[in-house]
Amino acid sequence: MAASIRLLARRIVRDAFRTINSSVSVRIVSSSCPSNLSACRCFSDGAADKSTHFGFETVSEGEKAERVYKVFESVAQKYDVMNDAMSLGVHRLWKDMLLHVMNPQPGIRLLDVAGGTGDISLRFLNYVRSQQERVARRTARANQTPSWQEISTSYTTPTEGIEMETEARESRAVVCDINKEMLKVGKQKAESMGVSSGLSWVVGDAEELPFDDDQFDVYTIAFGIRNVTHIDLALQEAVRVLKPGGRFMCLEFSKVTNPLLARLYDAYSFQMIPVLGEVIAGDWKSYQYLVESIRKFPDQETFKQMIEDAGLFSVRYHNLTGGVVALHSGFKL
Amino acid sequence: MAALLRGLRVGRALRGFGSGEPRLATCPQCNGLRRGFHCAALRLQEDKDKSIPVPPSSAASSTTTYHEHYQAHPSKNNTATHMQEAPAPEAGAKEAPQPNTSYADQSGEQGEEYETEEQLQAHILNAALDFVQLHGWTLEAISAGAETLGLSAASSGMFQNGAGDLVLHFIAQCNAQLTEQMAEQHNQVQLGQAEPKKTAEFLRDAVETRLRMLTPYMDNWPQAMSILLLPHNIPDSLKHLSTLVDDIWYYAGDRSTDLNWYTKRAALTGIYNTTELVMIQDSSEDFQDTWNFLENRIQDIVNMAGAAKQAASTGEAVAQGLLGAAVTLKNLTGINQRR
Repeated sequence: MAASIRLLARRIVRDAFRTINSSVSVRIVSSSCPSNLSACRCFSDGAADKSTHFGFETVSEGEKAERVYKVFESVAQKYDVMNDAMSLGVHRLWKDMLLHVMNPQPGIRLLDVAGGTGDISLRFLNYVRSQQERVARRTARANQTPSWQEISTSYTTPTEGIEMETEARESRAVVCDINKEMLKVGKQKAESMGVSSGLSWVVGDAEELPFDDDQFDVYTIAFGIRNVTHIDLALQEAVRVLKPGGRFMCLEFSKVTNPLLARLYDAYSFQMIPVLGEVIAGDWKSYQYLVESIRKFPDQETFKQMIEDAGLFSVRYHNLTGGVVALHSGFKL
Repeated sequence: MAALLRGLRVGRALRGFGSGEPRLATCPQCNGLRRGFHCAALRLQEDKDKSIPVPPSSAASSTTTYHEHYQAHPSKNNTATHMQEAPAPEAGAKEAPQPNTSYADQSGEQGEEYETEEQLQAHILNAALDFVQLHGWTLEAISAGAETLGLSAASSGMFQNGAGDLVLHFIAQCNAQLTEQMAEQHNQVQLGQAEPKKTAEFLRDAVETRLRMLTPYMDNWPQAMSILLLPHNIPDSLKHLSTLVDDIWYYAGDRSTDLNWYTKRAALTGIYNTTELVMIQDSSEDFQDTWNFLENRIQDIVNMAGAAKQAASTGEAVAQGLLGAAVTLKNLTGINQRR
């Protein structure tokens, strides 16, 4: 009897609280609504009111950056594993292709924007190191049978000028990402690979890079530019930080040209990838966003036009894997 | 941090305005174009001012070649010559973009960019020729050349054919130079200031002049020849070779319209290629062995032509003789008589 009365009392109190809460929330909402509307009217020409796409959703521009940040914060730990699972390892070939097309000479400075876990930068350092080794081997082989003149000049000159030149021209890569979690994962990866020199990690926004003008020889952005809210601002920043003659390279998912392959690709993207995301990383929504954002990105020709509008010349693109990925390249002349 | 840099940039821009440097920030497109012109104009100016050591004649001829090529665009030529004469580099760089932009207004953005790009690529390749002795005919030479013009080494990525672009550019330059010299000689003969050469002598001089242009790069020339023989370069290299041989024969006075056209060009192609191969292995003083070889080959051709003519006339004489014998026989046997 006492217990049932206590239960009844508890239920009444709970209901009372609920009504109070609901009334309070209603009042709060009603009170905040007009202020919200007035705020919206105040910012009618500001970014808060302009809407953009977040996957297939429409959100305000300020919100998009925040939500993208949250997506990558949650996927950072399993990012590399998920890349391998979703693309069946082919993403490594795409990134190798980027390096092959770039064909960096020793002594070049690379800026890897949205570099996150540092895939491109680590490949870049490997490439340049192996090239330097090859050159060193070639010169060693050439020096094995020196002529009498070469021997006599080596006695007279104090030091080898060419060797010092290659040592002084050390290549450097800077990984820039807006997300600290991704950079943390990348730093751990670099340490485990034993790469210490020639690599720096910087937090920065692609639309507003924390670097001076005319700093870098090559600017790359691999699978990152579709997450940027204002792509044209990112392109303008790229033009700013590149040296004259510098190269802009962008690896990004794009429109598949073959209709049959397109249908297979769509089925795979929308059916398989979020499921993989849920199973491996425990995050359905982030990978849903990923495949939707791919569909929202402009196609190869449109993006080429955007790059040309930003002021880059000699813009070309290669389709990889039948158009699943496109590699755009332009020069600042 | 970003805000600080933005402030620094604004400060620098304001200082730039004060010193009179044009820093237009109207729209990104114009900015990019103007910057492109600014860079290209500065490079062109530096290129003209700098004395290019090897090869000096090719640099001078390249400007005249471009004058010939771009005769359809007189404003461009004016800016080039204007920049050559301008004493101060800054004045040249400042004045140069203005006629460019007016030209751009007439014909649209795309055409102007394309021309600046092509000219810039040609300048980079010209600068890269200086580094061929050090790096060989490779992309590294092109990167080194780009760096002397103030561009980043990454701009060598513009040349998708890599070393092939460099070699083909050099060959085109040499051929253009030779054609120019032959045209000049031809003019002089027309004006009566010089005596016309005999065909054999003309051919020998033309091939010798053309091969002497290779002497600065003789150490690496085998590498260049192997690059030209790569399958994707064969169409272009054959085109250059055939136009070279055609030009030489034209200025030698050949106006044939029959099978001789083909035989003459085939013969000269053979002579040129074999002489080039001999020159690569030649270690004599001033390539004297090569010129002797060339002389002998041309003599062979002349002798063969003479022998061919003789054979033709002999054949004709023999045929006439046989015909005469046949008619005599018919007369003797009486077949010809009408009864």
